[in-house]
Amino acid sequence: MTFVLFGISLMVFYLARGFPSAFAPWTQYVTRKMNAQQIQAIIEQHGFNKPLWEQYIYWLRDVFQGNWGYSNWANGLPTYEVFASRFPYTVELTIAATILTIVIGIPLGILSAIRNNKLSDHIARLVALTGYSTPTYWFAYILQLVFFYYFYTLGLPYLPSSGAISPTLAGTVSAITGLPILDGILAGNMNYTLDALAHVILPAFTLSFTSLGYLARIVRASMLEVLKQDYITMARSKGLSEKIVICRHALKNALGPAMTLTGLFTASLLGGAVVTEYVFSWPGVGDLSLQAVFQGDSNFLLLYALVTALIIIIANLTVDIGYAFLDPRVKY
Amino acid sequence: MKNKSTIKSMELRARTDDARYALHLVRQNVLVLAGTLLVIFYLVISLTANYLVEPSIAYKFDFAQSYCWSNSVISWGKNIESCPVGINPVLGTDGFGRDLLKMIVLAIPVDISVALFIVAASTILGVVLGAVAGEVGGKVDEIILRITDIFLAFPGLLLALVFAAIFGRTMQNLIIAVLLVWWPVYVRLIRGQVLSEREKNYVEALRALGTSRTRILFNHIIPNTIYPILVQSTLDVGGVILTFSALMFLGFSPNPALPELGNLAADGIGHVFTAPWLIVFPGLTILVITLAFNLIGDGLRDILDPRLRR
Repeated sequence: MTFVLFGISLMVFYLARGFPSAFAPWTQYVTRKMNAQQIQAIIEQHGFNKPLWEQYIYWLRDVFQGNWGYSNWANGLPTYEVFASRFPYTVELTIAATILTIVIGIPLGILSAIRNNKLSDHIARLVALTGYSTPTYWFAYILQLVFFYYFYTLGLPYLPSSGAISPTLAGTVSAITGLPILDGILAGNMNYTLDALAHVILPAFTLSFTSLGYLARIVRASMLEVLKQDYITMARSKGLSEKIVICRHALKNALGPAMTLTGLFTASLLGGAVVTEYVFSWPGVGDLSLQAVFQGDSNFLLLYALVTALIIIIANLTVDIGYAFLDPRVKY
Repeated sequence: MKNKSTIKSMELRARTDDARYALHLVRQNVLVLAGTLLVIFYLVISLTANYLVEPSIAYKFDFAQSYCWSNSVISWGKNIESCPVGINPVLGTDGFGRDLLKMIVLAIPVDISVALFIVAASTILGVVLGAVAGEVGGKVDEIILRITDIFLAFPGLLLALVFAAIFGRTMQNLIIAVLLVWWPVYVRLIRGQVLSEREKNYVEALRALGTSRTRILFNHIIPNTIYPILVQSTLDVGGVILTFSALMFLGFSPNPALPELGNLAADGIGHVFTAPWLIVFPGLTILVITLAFNLIGDGLRDILDPRLRR
């Protein structure tokens, strides 16, 4: 785990600092108010005049001291603060997308399995495959076009096309958790909560559309495997209704792989929402990372990559533990 | 000698029977058939694109005709009659005033060839590294696995973005960027296959016969792991097209006029509500190509998986 984090930091660090770029690397530790002397001091202090491998050690020292430098493209705020203030938005989007994925993906997979090779299986398969064959940005724009633009022109109730909260409502609720929906609930502000909910629907559906296809396919495969087992035949021969056989006996055993996948998806969604956030102007870290790429802010990218990697690793661990919980046969 | 040839012919018959049965399953499965036909269709378009459309029109700009739509079948919710009289592009024109349909035809071979190249390259890389990791084991295995761990724990698109941003937006760099994201999956897949395969009885028998390790690996183990690799590669062609075009869409195109599906869609970013066709049709083309490859891959997985088969 430490090794992976170390490897990632080394890789991005080398990519970011080891090649000539339009931005001098020390700009990340400098604010606009500093004069030439102070900048020179910064260069010395962070070892920018030293060879690359020594710079990495200096960088590691800064990181352990909590110093990630400044993001001059984001009003010169400390990079860490920029990241921390936007990260909750990505978390909210990811949670919403995960819920949608599970709610749609698992029933779709079950339907596919119990109607194996029938028409509904083919339709479910087509939906699932279309889900993960769809370019995210395209789907996002189609949703915007239909649910925002056309609904609006037709005078129907429409969904907002960008942002996480309406500009008129922004800042009316104190940010306790940073997640707009949760903040609205905590403040007891119904208007705010509903507005935040309306904003999250389209981006969350866009994100989940890709993963629910995968989930449905996995659920189908493991469900088919389980349905062939003897104990299912046994349950059926006892005269249990098909509903109980599927929901209580088969599903529980078939959900293991699905859970693994959901855990991994949540983790990768957390890091991979770049395109969706970009199209919906969602104020999360994915959209910011794109700006950071263009602005050459390597510290932001390092922070982003490390946090995501950490989450992916933790998700893997949680899934393993959850697996043991769900399936008592698994022992460690 | 005679005995050997009889065994060979029996083996051959078993294999052809197997293949015939697989073909029968393909024919039975409407979706796989549809996917296959679509892929063939797009491959034919890719091969003949330069004859269907004059390639040089990609760089003939006519800004007087940009964002025009004159097809009366779709109205886009309002009446757009901005095309000069006498011009009738079926799918409208883009910001450079080029016929969008022709541009899509020119873009299809670019995307498909890039995707096929990336998948082929990462498969070869994966077969070599995965086979070495699985066969040699020990320290080598550990090192290769740790490296793939690093790549797999990295948010995929971000790595490609960083790479493309640093090394500049050339076609070559974008291909390397996507390749960088893609190869670890294959190493993992093939290593797992090699590990499970080398424990089987026939490998034991070959070892007992004194066959060399490299010969067992390349002549026996790898050919026997070809099916899962085939499925994964087919499924990945679509995935690569999606990733590559997403990079282009996010503004990493080497040239804004390049006929590439993601790049064509990127042209419509600021005009979603006024010129929706710019995103709708290139995106739809990507969707259909990707779906076609995924339909084949998904069907192949079912057909080649003996557990789900009979």
